[in-house]
Amino acid sequence: VNPYDAEFELHGVVHLVRPTGARAHDLEELRVGIAEAPARSLFCHTRQCQLRDPLGPELPPDDFSAWVNGVVQDRETAERLSFVVLSGGASAEELREALLAVLGRLSESARRARDAPAEGDLVFLTVESVPLPTGVVARTGPELLEGLLEAEPSVWFYHLVEQPWFPDRPSLVVWLLERGADRIAGWLREDAAAGLPIETMRRRLLRRWRRSRLGQRVGEAATVPEDQRREAGRAAVARLVRRIQRTDGNG
Amino acid sequence: MTLVTVRSEGQSLVEGYRAVVGDGPIQVLEALARRLKGHRIAMVNSTASGGGVAEILHRLVRLLNELGVPTTWEVMPGDARFYAITKAIHNGLHGWPARLTDQDHDYYLQVNRRAAQSLALDGDLVLVHDPQPAALAELRRRPGQHWVWRCHIDLSNADAAVWDFVAPRVAAYDAAVFSHVTFVPPLPVPAYLAPPSIDPLSDKNRELSDSEEEALLDPFDLPGRRPWVTQVSRFDRIKDPLGVIEAFLFARRKEEAHLVLAGGAADDDPEGADVLAEVQARVASRPDISVLLLPPDAHLVINALQRRSAVVLQKSLREGFALTVSEALWKRRAVVASAVGGIPLQVLHDRTGLLVRSVEGCAYQITRLLRSPELRRRLGQGGREHVRDNFLHPREARDYLALFARLL
Repeated sequence: VNPYDAEFELHGVVHLVRPTGARAHDLEELRVGIAEAPARSLFCHTRQCQLRDPLGPELPPDDFSAWVNGVVQDRETAERLSFVVLSGGASAEELREALLAVLGRLSESARRARDAPAEGDLVFLTVESVPLPTGVVARTGPELLEGLLEAEPSVWFYHLVEQPWFPDRPSLVVWLLERGADRIAGWLREDAAAGLPIETMRRRLLRRWRRSRLGQRVGEAATVPEDQRREAGRAAVARLVRRIQRTDGNG
Repeated sequence: MTLVTVRSEGQSLVEGYRAVVGDGPIQVLEALARRLKGHRIAMVNSTASGGGVAEILHRLVRLLNELGVPTTWEVMPGDARFYAITKAIHNGLHGWPARLTDQDHDYYLQVNRRAAQSLALDGDLVLVHDPQPAALAELRRRPGQHWVWRCHIDLSNADAAVWDFVAPRVAAYDAAVFSHVTFVPPLPVPAYLAPPSIDPLSDKNRELSDSEEEALLDPFDLPGRRPWVTQVSRFDRIKDPLGVIEAFLFARRKEEAHLVLAGGAADDDPEGADVLAEVQARVASRPDISVLLLPPDAHLVINALQRRSAVVLQKSLREGFALTVSEALWKRRAVVASAVGGIPLQVLHDRTGLLVRSVEGCAYQITRLLRSPELRRRLGQGGREHVRDNFLHPREARDYLALFARLL
């Protein structure tokens, strides 16, 4: 049975956080910790942190670069780690390799010398995922997109960030491709790969979706009776006035 | 009677929380509750009033029931001797000197054995809070039941002998939950992390009108002119009330202010009266310090005190989590707090409050805040947002429900 023949149900996710038992006191121990960390631990420290501020305009810093920057206070290495976390890693192994390459630019003695103060160790964590069916089921690409635009942040995170790392369920993007919704699939794949914050992805998708439907809406409007067109025009102006009043009130 | 009846009248908690945190987090709770359909949860602790754990349970139990997850709450019965022993265990786990004899161990197990016979513990999953009832799992596990130990204590400096006594009790559970990663000791069972939380709808945290605040505070005859520096916590040595007084007196040399030390004593804390007497002796007749002994249900008074304070302190020497910090942050107060236990999770230094490690540091930061309304405003706003995203009851309920869903 091809799982992509079926309807697609959107899922959210809750993460249970657990310590792995590993710690790092200096950059050498960080290197060893990253080399030995389970994939879910790397995911926790570099990807799951996105859900700590899901509505924020910027991605929260990943745990590794935040620790190297704020506790060890090696700003240069922290910058490089931030960059590889942002730009790389379609999988845990790719990201691990990139992180180790950054730390490998320092000699072992330099890594040992760059350490945390007492009680400042990095404690390695991992996450267990509890996927949650939302009850929102799509049969077509546009239906899925409409559902996604209304969904809470963990739904976006689960399908666009977590699933590509741990492909244990049918992929949303592949399902869209199987349905012939190539353009929607392309938008989602592109934004997810860019590492955008969830709310930014949502706004971009909404803009693209509205723009893509503009021609269709104009065509449909041409067949609508004159009185209904006028009524729709009045409603649009009223919405615009309300938006302007809100803006004035806030500013 | 050991079964606690949780108030359920008034506005629905689910809808109340939806108005505060938005629809998304509530949708997640509802989805988790659907996954748990058909299962029952039992909560157990050692007191129905006083202290942060009882406060959380009053709301959490009601919330889970509203979400459709049948949940009961039982209080383990005890006596003065048992509470003295469990207080010593509590202090020892926090890292204070504690000496337990074999007779103490036997009595602790004897009281737990009686409780194992008398409590209903009627759940597919039993969530036991803190060390007092920790032996119940080994004494009363029914086939098919899941048991989780919820530890609200900072175990990072636990007395080895005390932990050696508690650890075998915890080993009988399926999982343990801790407030902070540094609190987690080596254990043979899976350990999970879940910071506790506050209730934005409770009397202690809801919005108050100016007239309500005045009416609530009027009986205490506190000075209206000078800014208040306030610490709200039970009279307990680990909350360092004498250190608070010392820090305030340093700051007072530089700035006009009035110190308010407000708190009560939990039912299961026999040391409270001694500590209160020490504090009162230290304060003597100073007109710029008020010591308020509040009953366990003085939630509205605490709310008004925090809202009227220019600076809120939590200068603890050890902490589990210190929910009073989140309470003050939620009210947009400027907070000065010790970098112990779970406080650094709530107070991100210079973003949501100020962390200190000494009496002098505390005095310095109090002085800074008294001199800068702008700094107080900035920290207060950052604190409010941080608590909304991370330390309100819906997030804690989500963590528990997700763990239950994982285990059941």
